[in-house]
Amino acid sequence: MDDRAPQNSFPTRIAAVTLAALLSGAFAGGGPAPALAANAVAFAARGGLELASAAAQAWSGDAVLVYVENDESLNADGAGTSTRWSYLFFSASHDRARVWSVRGGRIVVAEDLDMRFDAPPVAAGWLDSGAAIAAAERGAGGEVRKLSGAHLETMLLMRGAFSDGDPDATTWTLVYRAPGVPSLFVMVSAADGKVQRTWRG
Amino acid sequence: MRATCLAPALLTIALAAPGARAASPERASAAPTVTTLTVERERPVREKLPTLQFLRANRDFIRARFDRLREESRVERAPAADLDPRFLEYRRLLAQIAAGKDSVTRASDARERQGVFTSVEELAGLERELDLMERLLDAQRARLTELQADFAGRQRTELNVVVTGNTLAGRVDSVRVTLEDGSSVASALTETQRGSLIHGGALEVFRGLAEPREQVIEVTLMGEGWSATGPGFVTLEPARDRLTFLKLDLSQASPARGIGSLTASTWLLDPNTPTAEAGQDHP
Repeated sequence: MDDRAPQNSFPTRIAAVTLAALLSGAFAGGGPAPALAANAVAFAARGGLELASAAAQAWSGDAVLVYVENDESLNADGAGTSTRWSYLFFSASHDRARVWSVRGGRIVVAEDLDMRFDAPPVAAGWLDSGAAIAAAERGAGGEVRKLSGAHLETMLLMRGAFSDGDPDATTWTLVYRAPGVPSLFVMVSAADGKVQRTWRG
Repeated sequence: MRATCLAPALLTIALAAPGARAASPERASAAPTVTTLTVERERPVREKLPTLQFLRANRDFIRARFDRLREESRVERAPAADLDPRFLEYRRLLAQIAAGKDSVTRASDARERQGVFTSVEELAGLERELDLMERLLDAQRARLTELQADFAGRQRTELNVVVTGNTLAGRVDSVRVTLEDGSSVASALTETQRGSLIHGGALEVFRGLAEPREQVIEVTLMGEGWSATGPGFVTLEPARDRLTFLKLDLSQASPARGIGSLTASTWLLDPNTPTAEAGQDHP
């Protein structure tokens, strides 16, 4: 499935930091504030939902939230926080999906999704990312992290796609990665926080 | 963004421009903060951050899963959500309005039939009717206040672009505002509107919902001397659940100095600004 490997190699980081510094310098001349806040505070997934929803409603009155994913690495504190989350909305009237990425209390990316993704809306009242991690860590997630040195790379919230038993269920899927072994997927119900299934892939 | 009012409309400077308020000493302290913006000749370059990396990397797999779900025959379950109690309340309010209207109509009919009042008892009856009407009016006023709090009080993220001033040279026939999503609104200026701009008026060229994020607004002036100057770009960030004004001042602009000679400024509508509703003090 996802072939995205951890991309924190040292030279890449240096290049990224240098680029960020150059960009900051470029924007310092009275122009708009750079989108990359230097010390953006990490927040749980629900933290950016209201802002993204306000943008989505301005875009289309019938926009519904269909997908959430962390855009930057998750903090290792187990609280389900990241400095940037993406919220994908689908509008039937526009017949397309649009994503808003929130960082530091601001929308730093807004763009139409370049693929068709008319997924069903996630159920209201979904559990926040912290609660989902807590459930996963009590079981296979915590185990694979301790035994294989795996790290939690991705959290995604959606409805139906991975839920064989109940396609209406809104679930968090947590993806643990470790070098040399297949990723571990842990699916947690976003309604009650129970682990639904785990698999390798 | 969705424009709620595309037709250009003349605004009074007192409503649109904060500078007019500053003229009144008691209001000067409450005047909104005006931020001056630069009208640039080139569209600002924004850094590109990656989003939805897992979804994009596994797009085929995830789409295949959704396709499979659709193919599977299953009973759609649509759990009923709780009805917003306000909707039930609106029905009650409408019923009360209808009942109140009936009462007023009945009283009016009775009065018409009576003709001339000849006794003190009848005058007392008239007074009772007037009291009843007054009570109905009070109830109506309370209902309107309730409705206003629900609807008018719910400010969403909106952008209002206004143009002021007359150019130093050339003649502006129309103003085009293009938003980041590609939607474009062009407002042609009539002689009356041009005259109004000369005398301090403001012309609304766009009002609509806006995403609460930093974005670039493209502005193009068309007309004698201006059509060849090309568009200008203004970066601003409408505040969430507030009405943001963007004022484009043409008073120092000339085609020779290009589109960058426009002066742009932005401010937020003060949510505590008193409304222009009729009251006891004014009609």
